[in-house]
Amino acid sequence: MENKPKNSRRDFIRSGTRISMLVTLGAVGAFAAKNLTAEKYVWQIDPFKCTQCGRCATSCVMTPSAVKCVHAYNLCGYCDLCGGYLKPDANKRSTAAENQLCPTAAIQRRFIEEPYFEYVINEDLCIGCAKCVKGCTSFGNGSLHIQIIQNRCLNCNECSIARLCPSQAIARQKASKPYNVKGSFTKST
Amino acid sequence: MKNKGIVIFLIVLAVVIVGVIAIDFNSTKPDQQPANPYEYNIDSFTRVDTALIKYRESRNLKINLEEPVGIALHENRLFVVGDQKLQIIEPTGRLVQEVNLDQKPTCVYVSDKNIFIGYRKSLLLLNREGVKIADWNSFADSTVITSIAEQSGIVFVADAGKRIVRKFNIEGNPMGEIEGKSGNDQIHGFIIPSPYFALAFNPSGELWVVNPGKHTLENYTVDGKLRTWWEATSIKIEGFSGCCNPAHFAFLPDGSFVTSEKGVVRIKTYKPSGEFANVVATPSKFKVEGHAPDLAVDDQGTIYALDLDKKMIRLFVKK
Repeated sequence: MENKPKNSRRDFIRSGTRISMLVTLGAVGAFAAKNLTAEKYVWQIDPFKCTQCGRCATSCVMTPSAVKCVHAYNLCGYCDLCGGYLKPDANKRSTAAENQLCPTAAIQRRFIEEPYFEYVINEDLCIGCAKCVKGCTSFGNGSLHIQIIQNRCLNCNECSIARLCPSQAIARQKASKPYNVKGSFTKST
Repeated sequence: MKNKGIVIFLIVLAVVIVGVIAIDFNSTKPDQQPANPYEYNIDSFTRVDTALIKYRESRNLKINLEEPVGIALHENRLFVVGDQKLQIIEPTGRLVQEVNLDQKPTCVYVSDKNIFIGYRKSLLLLNREGVKIADWNSFADSTVITSIAEQSGIVFVADAGKRIVRKFNIEGNPMGEIEGKSGNDQIHGFIIPSPYFALAFNPSGELWVVNPGKHTLENYTVDGKLRTWWEATSIKIEGFSGCCNPAHFAFLPDGSFVTSEKGVVRIKTYKPSGEFANVVATPSKFKVEGHAPDLAVDDQGTIYALDLDKKMIRLFVKK
């Protein structure tokens, strides 16, 4: 009669070590795979919550701010008297510097046909102060609004603007949908 | 001795940590931040000299509609549309009748015989009992009906989408269009940056149409010829500002205009000549950046403002 070999303590430890190493390897692999495929998040502004306080220009760690004005052309009235472009007390509806609301002349006014004008944002000049947004929202259709431009944003762990935003309009959202541009983005009810 | 030094060090450290936390907490409070050089304060444009306010709010009527959009007044009855309903209300606030509608309405007009309900792309004609008479569907895809008025069997429909005033006979047959263009260089066709395009007949039976992009009120003959107009573009209280104002208007019994504005929401009156008269309701009475109230006026000159945000009819009488 042949004696069955008995498992020694050494075999048990060896098997246990192998199994735990496999389990650890599997867990690390799964974690890495999850991180690779997981949805990334970015900071963005909800234009319907924004109260155009102007803090985005000064609170961002970037200089100039990563927040810029964007224009929803499908909402714009193409008005001659644009509340986002002209100062309320402008002496003339013209492109003269003294009549412009924007402190950096980042909005270009282009004549289309009488009496319609197109307003185009020069992103490099815009500092994200939202003065034009306030003017457009208060006196116009609200087609101008601010957004965090993702290729300028450092995507800090804690957004310094979000921390100070009085209307809590800045929150993380999925990177696959990085912007809340009015017109396609509507107010949630 | 050694332990005492450590205790003192820890106490000092704790005080420093608490101090840093307190300073940080206070400095990040929105109301305790330093002044913002880029803040655009429009409060000065919403303030009104109290001497100009000649009306007071006498009462208000809460209405049971989620999204009221339009009001009309005829023979001591208020006709309010919103959601998918027409509500007929007594001036006391008692609901007399409610009529369910097929679509969301945009405006309402009431004549001696009929109730006209504007939908976005069609018009519903009811008799005064709320029974359907006809649907008028001969509108373009881009049509947005915003206002209706009738005079001597001719129905005028403001189409903000096509930027024209359409004319129909009472059977709903098209009778032409008013484009608002004139030979005079001073006036342009209708400029409608957003769907606010109102028209109404004054007590003398003259058709007045708002050209909101120009801040003008324009008087047309029934044939569509521009007779006269007045303009009031200004950020000041005397004028209209923004891209599309006045959003709504009505007439007082003496032919004066009552206007309501969007953006900086307010109600004012203008003399029949177009000269600014007084203020009915200041922006402080309405929601900030709210909707322009639709208007109706009774024979005594009481102004009924349909507050779309507060969902109520607000009555203003002369002081």
